[in-house]
Amino acid sequence: METAISPIIRFFITEGVPFQTIILLLMLPVIATFIAFLRQVVGIKAFGIYTPLITTFAFLATNGLRYGVAIFLVVIFVGMLMRFILKPFRLLYLPRVAIMLTVVSLIILTMLVFGGNLRRTGLASVSIFPILIMITLVEKFVATQIEKGNKAALVLAFETLIISILGFFIASWEGLIGLLIAHPWTILLTLPINIIIGKWTGLRVSEYFRFRSIIKKL
Amino acid sequence: MFEFFKNSQKLLGMNSRNLEFIRPFNRTRAKRLADDKLLSKRILKKNNIAVPKLIATIKTVEELENFDWQSLPSSFALKPNRGFGGEGIIVVYGKKKNHTDYWIKADRSLITVDDLRSHVRNILDGSFSLSGTPDVAFFEERLQLLKLFKPYAYKGIPDIRIIVFNKVPVMAMLRLPTKESGGKANLQQGAVGTGIDMATGVTTTAIHGKNGFIEKIPGTQLSTSGLRIPHWKSMLLLAAKAQEVSNLGFLGVDIAIDSKNGPEILELNARPGLSIQIANLAGLKERLNRVRGIKIKTIEKGVRVGMDLFGGEIEEELEEISGKKIIGTVEKVKLIGKNGKEIEVEARIDTGAGISSIDKALAEELGFGEAVKLWEDFHLDKILSTSEIAELSKNKTWKELEKHPDIVGVAKTFSAHGATYRIEIKVTLILDSLPIVSKLSIANRTGLIYPLLVGRRDLRKFLIDVNK
Repeated sequence: METAISPIIRFFITEGVPFQTIILLLMLPVIATFIAFLRQVVGIKAFGIYTPLITTFAFLATNGLRYGVAIFLVVIFVGMLMRFILKPFRLLYLPRVAIMLTVVSLIILTMLVFGGNLRRTGLASVSIFPILIMITLVEKFVATQIEKGNKAALVLAFETLIISILGFFIASWEGLIGLLIAHPWTILLTLPINIIIGKWTGLRVSEYFRFRSIIKKL
Repeated sequence: MFEFFKNSQKLLGMNSRNLEFIRPFNRTRAKRLADDKLLSKRILKKNNIAVPKLIATIKTVEELENFDWQSLPSSFALKPNRGFGGEGIIVVYGKKKNHTDYWIKADRSLITVDDLRSHVRNILDGSFSLSGTPDVAFFEERLQLLKLFKPYAYKGIPDIRIIVFNKVPVMAMLRLPTKESGGKANLQQGAVGTGIDMATGVTTTAIHGKNGFIEKIPGTQLSTSGLRIPHWKSMLLLAAKAQEVSNLGFLGVDIAIDSKNGPEILELNARPGLSIQIANLAGLKERLNRVRGIKIKTIEKGVRVGMDLFGGEIEEELEEISGKKIIGTVEKVKLIGKNGKEIEVEARIDTGAGISSIDKALAEELGFGEAVKLWEDFHLDKILSTSEIAELSKNKTWKELEKHPDIVGVAKTFSAHGATYRIEIKVTLILDSLPIVSKLSIANRTGLIYPLLVGRRDLRKFLIDVNK
C-alpha cells in the first residue's frame, strides 16, 4: 500500500523506533478518547478506562480478533465459576484471587495445547503478553463482583468486551492509520475533544433510556 | 420529541451531578468525612445529632484476636466503616437461648462467633471497602422497627433518604426492604423506593428495584402511596443540620426511625444516587437550580423553603381554609378496641352510609367476641326481611341485647339488599391522625374488600376527595 508518510514518522523510523510501535502509540490517544466519549456521552461504563484500552491492545496483539475474544470469555467464565466454587471456603481476598489466577492460567494453557493439537496454530502462537494482560482481567472482575455483585460485573465485562472490539476495529482501520502516518499532528485534536467531553453536563444516552418512563411525566 | 428533550433538562444526570454539584460543593475533606462512617458518627454526635449508638470497634487483627465477644449485647449491627451500598452488614436480632456463642440473624439462621470473626477479618482486609483498602469494623446498636412500618418492611428496617442542598431538603425517598432485597433497604438489591411529598411526609409514587412503578407493596395489599411518615419535620431538620455540620453542600442523608429514640442518622452520602428522581417522578436538577444561590441563614428557614417549594401546596391550603382534613375513598384507619388493643385496617369511606359498620371477625379481634356471639345466638348475622325486623322490634329484642355491657345500641338498616338488625359497639377510630369515638355497627362483611366502612356520622371533620 502506498501512503504518504510524514517526515517526522520517517525520522522516527530512521532513529530505530519500530513502525508498529509508532502506530500503537499514536493510536492510544484515539482509543482513550473513544472510551472517554462512550463513558461520558453514551454511558457505557466498562471497567474504567485502562482495562478496555489494554484489552483493545491485547486484541491487536493476538493473531486475529477471535482468539482474543475467546481468551477474554474464558477468563470471565472462569472468574464466575470460581466465585461459586470458592464461596464456601471463605478465603481472604488475595489468596482467593491467586487461586483464580492459577485456574485461569491452567485453563488457558490447556486451550493452547488443544489449539495446537487441532492445528489451530494461530491460537498456540499467540504471544504471552496479551494473554497475561487478559489474565489480569480476573482481578478487575473479581473486585467488581464483590463491590457490585455478579450481574453488574458481568454487564461491565460485556461492556468492556464490546468497547475493546470496537476499539480493535478503529485501531486496525486502514484509513485512520493512513491519516496518522500522513498527519501525525492530528492526534492533538483529541485534547480539545476531551476538554469538551470533560465539560459535558448533558444526560448520557443511557440515562435517557434509564429515565424514559418519567421524562414524559415530568 | 421537543417536549421530550425539554423535560429531560429537568433531570439530573451523572455528568451534571459530578461536575456541577459534587465537584464545586463537596470538598475532598468533607467527602472523606462522609465516606468514614465512624468519623461522621462522631462529628454528628458532637453536634447533638442523633445517631445509632456505637458499641465497639475492631481496627486491627490484634484487636480482633483479643476481642471479647461476650461483651456484645444480644442484638447489634456489624458494619464495615467504609462499606457502601449496604454491603458487608450483618444484623443480629438476639442470642440463641442457653448458648453464649450463637446469635440469630433476620432470616432466623444462626451465626457463630467464628462466623463473625471471619466476617470481621474480611472487613479488615478491605473486602467491602470502596477501593479495597484495609478497613475498620464496628458494632452499633440495632434500631427497633417502628410499628407503623411493620407491615411494609420485610425483615429489616426502612430508611429515608433526604437530599439536602444549600440547607434546603430538596427531595426524599422512603426505602422499604423486601423479600427480594433480603431485608436490605437498597434499591439496587430489589427494595421498594417511594417518593415523598416534601411538605407533608406522605408517600407518593413508588418503584420496585429496577422493575418500574408499583402501587402495592409486593406480596401485600398495602398501597405504597398515602403513608404518612412520622417525625417528618424533625427528620428534615436533622438532614439540614447534618448538611450544615458536615460541610457537604450537596448531600444525601440516610435516616431511620427507631421506635424508642425516634429519627437517627445512619450515614451521610456525598454522592447520592439518581434513582430518587424516578421514585418521585420529579427532576432533581430543576429543584437544585431553584434552590441554588439563594441565601439561607438558618436550617429552619431552609426546611421551610424545601417544604414550601417541593410539597403539594394545594391540598394543604384547602385544609387550612376549611379547617377540615381531606381524605380519599379508601383510608387507613387505626381501631382501638377493648383493653387498648390496636388494629390498623384499610376502610371504605362511604358518604352513602349513615353509620359506620365493622366486620364481625374484626370486631372479635378487637375483643368484642362475646357481643358478637350473643348477636349470632339471636341469629341476626344475616339479611332479614322487613317483617322479621318488625317482629324483632315488637319483641323488644334490643332490650335483651343491650343487657350486654359491650353493646351500646342496636341499629336497623334497610337497603336494596334487604334489612339487617345490628348491634353497636364503642370503638375509637384514628383516621388521618384524628381520633373519633364511634359507635360501630357489627355486620357480616365477609366477601367484601374492606372490613370497615366509615359512614357520615363519623366523617363530620373531613372532606372527601374522590380522586385520592
